[in-house]
Amino acid sequence: MSIVVADNCSKWYGHVLGVSDVSWKLTGGIVGLLGPNGAGKSTLIKMMGGLLQPSRGSLTVYGQSPFYDIEVRRRIGYAPEHEATWDELSALELVTAMGRLSGVPAGKADQAARDALEQVGMTSAMYRRVRGFSKGMRQRTKLATAIVHDPDFLLLDEPLTGVDPVARVDIVERIKQLGAAGKTIVISSHVLYEIEALTSDIVVIYRGQVLAEGNVYEIRTLIDRHPHRIRVECDQPRAIATALASEDHVARLHFERAGLVIETRDPDRCYDQIAKAVLASRVTVSALSSPDNNLGAVFEYLTGDGGRR
Amino acid sequence: MSERVVPTTSSTVCTLAAITLKRLGRGKALWIGGMLAALPPAFAVVFSATKLHTRQGTPVPDDLFTISAGLLVMLPAMFVGASIGEEIEERTSTYLWSRPIARWAVLAGKLCALTPIVIVLIAGGWYAGVMIWAQAAPSLTSCIALAAGCVATSVVAAGIATVVPKHGMALTIGYMLVDVFIGAMPFSLNELSITNQTRELTNLFGGQPAIATPLIAMIAVSGLWAAVGFVRIRRLEV
Repeated sequence: MSIVVADNCSKWYGHVLGVSDVSWKLTGGIVGLLGPNGAGKSTLIKMMGGLLQPSRGSLTVYGQSPFYDIEVRRRIGYAPEHEATWDELSALELVTAMGRLSGVPAGKADQAARDALEQVGMTSAMYRRVRGFSKGMRQRTKLATAIVHDPDFLLLDEPLTGVDPVARVDIVERIKQLGAAGKTIVISSHVLYEIEALTSDIVVIYRGQVLAEGNVYEIRTLIDRHPHRIRVECDQPRAIATALASEDHVARLHFERAGLVIETRDPDRCYDQIAKAVLASRVTVSALSSPDNNLGAVFEYLTGDGGRR
Repeated sequence: MSERVVPTTSSTVCTLAAITLKRLGRGKALWIGGMLAALPPAFAVVFSATKLHTRQGTPVPDDLFTISAGLLVMLPAMFVGASIGEEIEERTSTYLWSRPIARWAVLAGKLCALTPIVIVLIAGGWYAGVMIWAQAAPSLTSCIALAAGCVATSVVAAGIATVVPKHGMALTIGYMLVDVFIGAMPFSLNELSITNQTRELTNLFGGQPAIATPLIAMIAVSGLWAAVGFVRIRRLEV
């Protein structure tokens, strides 16, 4: 049985497009929603969480509209992208309140909140007010508010954004545990490796449309076919260009005022060869950057926009 | 873990009211509200000291009542309007909207928590002011009238805050200033003024005692805003 069914689902904010004509089914497991900022990930998640209703088409969760059906929202746990919360409350008070509002009986809400906070590693800070929490602690607390009522379906909107590497590993591990416990989880991110750490099932969303869905490795292969640009700012760009010109992975070399832009189909090899050329010719490099280190460029390539650049 | 039940409306309203009170108790609004509520007793001290009678023959100075009624402009906006407006505007409402609760219960919870606070502050200030001025308690009718005014104005504030959350407090104050202005007009339009009807209901300043008309008018105006608020919040997307 499908948990989420989106049928020609569109959402506009006035004249601004959020999601366009999305038809998609979710049957279970951990699914990564991948796309650059503004792609429509949060809009889709909010529609699944019952915070927004489609402008056109339909979106159902467990066969019901989450916007109107209270019963179905009992089965959903949602952690929003933003940090705003009831900062005056302690983590325990906040999670207990969310438990109560999700139907956990009064006598069990406190224990359920403690369990949820323990699951996300927040036991030691549960009596502290949320106002003083770091980004990572807020993310964990949000996760606790989402799981306190033991939902079947979790919606986590960018739960790893702004989290330090240590906390990131911990949160990833805890999300995996929830997945292993049988929860269906939709997690959004604009960073591919964050999603890769959690699941191999991804949905690529861009400009409000589902661009691709399936195994992350297939998507990765598709992305890797995209010529990757490397900008080298140095005093002898021609020396590096000479060293790389005959390499089969180099698609294009372009001189700029302060250096060189290389388009390559094998970034790892290319970086190695740049290093060798720099050492061999004693080139002074002032900057090495990749204009493609954001998903937007890759998505533009995948949608064909890159070809027009 | 938890039992799979949807919370009842009464438990939702109670939970939301408890959270609202807890947050209120840890914020600044209560202190500011308390200071504003201290205005009638403060003026009563001044009136007593200066033997200032603004209208001879009345049991309490009408200026004192005007100050208390004037708090109707400020306090419901400050408590109810700001609370609901901020919840929507600052997106903390996303936590509530994804929960298995009736959305109108959010408004009801806020009103249940904050309206009594507004009543205590305004009617309490009035009571203390009269006690200082007259060394006697004010009439029960006047206190009930102010309480009715508080309820009506709080509902208006809630309705306005759902329509324009970003400026819920400011627009409620603006609306209530217009309400005061309309109330002072010598036309039948002043029947729609909550502050005027509150004054009528107190029957402090002579004339025929009137209960039905002021109550009906207040219920009509606040009922309209309640309908706006509940319809709006039911459709509100966050």
